Amino acid sequence: MDSFASLLHGLSVAMQPGNLLYAFIGVTLGTAVGVLPGIGPALTVALLLPITFKLDPAGSLIMFAGIYYGGMYGGSTSSILLNTPGESASMITALEGNKMARAGRGGPALATSAIGSFVAGMIATIGLAFLAPLVVDLALSFGPAEYFALMVLAFTTVSAAFGNSALRGLTSLFIGLALGLIGIDLQTGQARLAFGIPDLLDGVEVTTAAVGMFALGETLYVAATASRSPDKIEPVRGSLWMTASDWARSWKPWLRGTLLGFPIGALPAGGAEIPTFLSYSIEKQLSQNPEEFGQGAIEGVAGPEAANNASAAGTLVPLLTLGLPTSATAAMMLAGFQQYGLQPGPLLFTSNPDLVWGLVASLLIANFMLLVLNLPLIGLWVRLLAIPRPWLYGGILVFATLGTLGANPSAFELGMLAVLGVLGFGMRYFDYPVAPVIIGLILGPLAEQQLRRALAISQGNPSALVETPLAIGIYVICALIVVGPLVWRMVSKKPLPVLASSED
Amino acid sequence: MIDGNQAPVSSRADKAAFLIAAGLFALAGVVAWDAAHLNAAVATYSRVGAAAFPYGIAAALTALGLGTVAAAIKGEFPDREELELHRVGWILGGLIAQIVLLGFAGFSIATGVLFAFTARGFGGKPLWATIPIGIVLSLILYLVFSKGLELGLPQGPLERLF
Amino acid sequence: MRAFTQALAGILVAGALATPVFAQELKIMAPAAPGGGWDQTARSLQQALQTEGLAKGVQVNNVPGAGGSIGIAQFVNQSKGDPNALMVGGYVMVGALIANNSPVKLDQVTPIARLTGEYEAIVVPTSSTIKTIGDLVAQLKADPGTVSWGGGSAGGTDHITVGLIAKAAGVDPTKINYIPFSGGGEALAAIVGGKVTAGISGYGEFEGQVKAGKLRVLAVSAPERLAGVDAPTLKEAGINVEVQNWRAIWAAPGITPEQKASLISTFEKLHGSKSWKDTLAAKGWSDTFLAGDTFGGYVTKEVEQTTAVLKDIGLAK
Repeated sequence: MDSFASLLHGLSVAMQPGNLLYAFIGVTLGTAVGVLPGIGPALTVALLLPITFKLDPAGSLIMFAGIYYGGMYGGSTSSILLNTPGESASMITALEGNKMARAGRGGPALATSAIGSFVAGMIATIGLAFLAPLVVDLALSFGPAEYFALMVLAFTTVSAAFGNSALRGLTSLFIGLALGLIGIDLQTGQARLAFGIPDLLDGVEVTTAAVGMFALGETLYVAATASRSPDKIEPVRGSLWMTASDWARSWKPWLRGTLLGFPIGALPAGGAEIPTFLSYSIEKQLSQNPEEFGQGAIEGVAGPEAANNASAAGTLVPLLTLGLPTSATAAMMLAGFQQYGLQPGPLLFTSNPDLVWGLVASLLIANFMLLVLNLPLIGLWVRLLAIPRPWLYGGILVFATLGTLGANPSAFELGMLAVLGVLGFGMRYFDYPVAPVIIGLILGPLAEQQLRRALAISQGNPSALVETPLAIGIYVICALIVVGPLVWRMVSKKPLPVLASSED
Repeated sequence: MIDGNQAPVSSRADKAAFLIAAGLFALAGVVAWDAAHLNAAVATYSRVGAAAFPYGIAAALTALGLGTVAAAIKGEFPDREELELHRVGWILGGLIAQIVLLGFAGFSIATGVLFAFTARGFGGKPLWATIPIGIVLSLILYLVFSKGLELGLPQGPLERLF
Repeated sequence: MRAFTQALAGILVAGALATPVFAQELKIMAPAAPGGGWDQTARSLQQALQTEGLAKGVQVNNVPGAGGSIGIAQFVNQSKGDPNALMVGGYVMVGALIANNSPVKLDQVTPIARLTGEYEAIVVPTSSTIKTIGDLVAQLKADPGTVSWGGGSAGGTDHITVGLIAKAAGVDPTKINYIPFSGGGEALAAIVGGKVTAGISGYGEFEGQVKAGKLRVLAVSAPERLAGVDAPTLKEAGINVEVQNWRAIWAAPGITPEQKASLISTFEKLHGSKSWKDTLAAKGWSDTFLAGDTFGGYVTKEVEQTTAVLKDIGLAK
């Protein structure tokens, strides 16, 4: 099969003026809905999918791709400007992005996020087109033991998000791990920490936790210190656009983020969060200016954003080649594909090449359209920060509760949001980092379930955890991360810049 | 990763830090208590059962609680800003009002109240002006999301008019 | 009079559409998050009922949580006596209500009809040395721990089926090595990748992989062989197990017999309609329609059987 010719044909279809218009509408709607706090790409796609049904298959597929990318990008925008991530994958973006926005550097933050998303989306989509069969073999060689190794790797890198105290960072992480215990234990079907409350049986929703601890916690803290901070944030200080130094500091993180995001996103249990954690940690290690991390380092926006977008394209690998929806967004996309008669599965690439290449072309076009639409809008977005605070934060809470209610219309969920918001507020007050709570909430249950699965399959024999080269390889990387810097210091006889700065 | 950057704020022990440590001990206790009440009879081949991780987390929380006590005694907790808790009270009041109102007054009225209370917390205009603004804003959102996008939001008297 | 006010309300809400005055304004609860099987069933019903003019308007609302336990509790409390309230659900709910010790039971809602169903399939990777269901059962009997079964959550349809197979084969059900996975995707990857001995789930989950030659079907849990599936039933293989993962619709508690009869007739009409047949074909759902009290009796039997199995596995007291 001549992939390249098929792709060109797909592109020529997608480039027709009518289809470009659909891509434009899709991207606009997706961004507009996705920008609301608490509404991530999965819900955005779910909400807007019915609109695409009314079009012809090619047009609706293209509009759908636009909505998808628009929803993803919109989520990052609210993370950066308002510190209100709509989903866990853009939480890391908020760490540095919002610090930049507060310092009047929201423009460059949004730009590096948009261009990084574009670069990652392009590379990963092309990777999807040409490497999918290879990547899927890798994905299938991951079993519970390898996933557990991957979780251990993720845990060894979370300290990058700890801020300036290991004690407080670990405390946050373990609070998150404790929250992650709540609900039915998947392996034995028993309720843990549910205290007989049925609403707790499904555990703490990660989106509710992220919106509560970030959006609400932030709002409460800003309110509590309102009279000592300036009434308005200066939206633009310095350049609205990325400077030469911003470019120089962004392009490598974009590529590294893509390299992490695409393969991990392709793993059936990889997810979008882990590559963003890893990317953030790597950028912090490699940065020339590690002291800027936590104060608004552009690398910390560029890398995780690229990783997030690349993992989204990676998710399409198991979806298209195996028919496996491995995330909430992918499950929505599967529902979407089925409406177009596209039945994802192992035979798709051979039985429906037109549709596959049409989809890939649509994704490329949508990605490009997103850049065209959003770069000029950055100036407008950052003006959001100029809205007087009573209205701005009133609006944020309205949208945050709308997103929570949209996913699960229950008073209990709102109560949970309020409790987590108070927790987030208290943690900010005592200078505890908030991100590790969410990281623990995500990674804890994954690590536990994979470990217990691996041990059940081996009937309790722990050597099964280190049986495959893949698992051993990942543990070796973990060991290098832990002891590598020490060895490096001994060999080079000079302190590492990373460690030096935190031990000053 | 050590508290190197933090100059001790005072040599006095930090009372709030003791409270945090107490909270951590309590959390550890609840987690361990719950783990002890799990049904151990559920068959599993993994040897690591449903209670193993909770016990581990409880132990770690206890250790972190002890670390917090040590940090409190040494006065290692960072300096804190003074809080204007009445502002926080307004916003939390708005959230509670929203939860209470949602069941019978519907999305728009409940969320409108939240909007107004939050704005009040930030020193905005008086409630008689902001509540109607909030309700209108929320109603527009309701119409867009409920009618346009078929999102199931709680209905009240206002929503039933449409 | 009620019909008149409802029609009036309907006109106010939906605008002046030319539909029969007697058609009802229905509310369907999907006790699950948007996107899942019950949600899709509810939304497909919404579309078909409206297209066929069997209902004036249909609203779908989602109440996710704990395998439907939260949805049914809310349904019973808030919709008592409401002749327009409906709830979608299925076999998974039977197990979830038992395992979660739910105070609300399925006999509290009014059975209207079973709509669709899917049978379980037991598969192995094509490269596996296990060729037939007989091979698998033989290994299970010899050493149950060596047979790891990959499927959905603990206490769900897949787990229950494995428990039933063990029991029918004379193996202690507490000795089965069942490995629950959270989503269909992850389980399938582990099965295709050979990380577990065998996989069990609805046949539709496996269809693509089977056609691509990556998985071999050993048996299905249907009463007779399935069209297009080259595998025996469990019964043929001497294991007396039949499991259907069905989806159904219930009405609120406390409605009058006339209201119940009217709803049953609405769904009987829907079952005969072209829209519904098209929906079933498009979604690949099998038609296992069973209406009214016959369906109610079926549910009672399913609850009894499931309670027994869950006790055997050790998931219910």
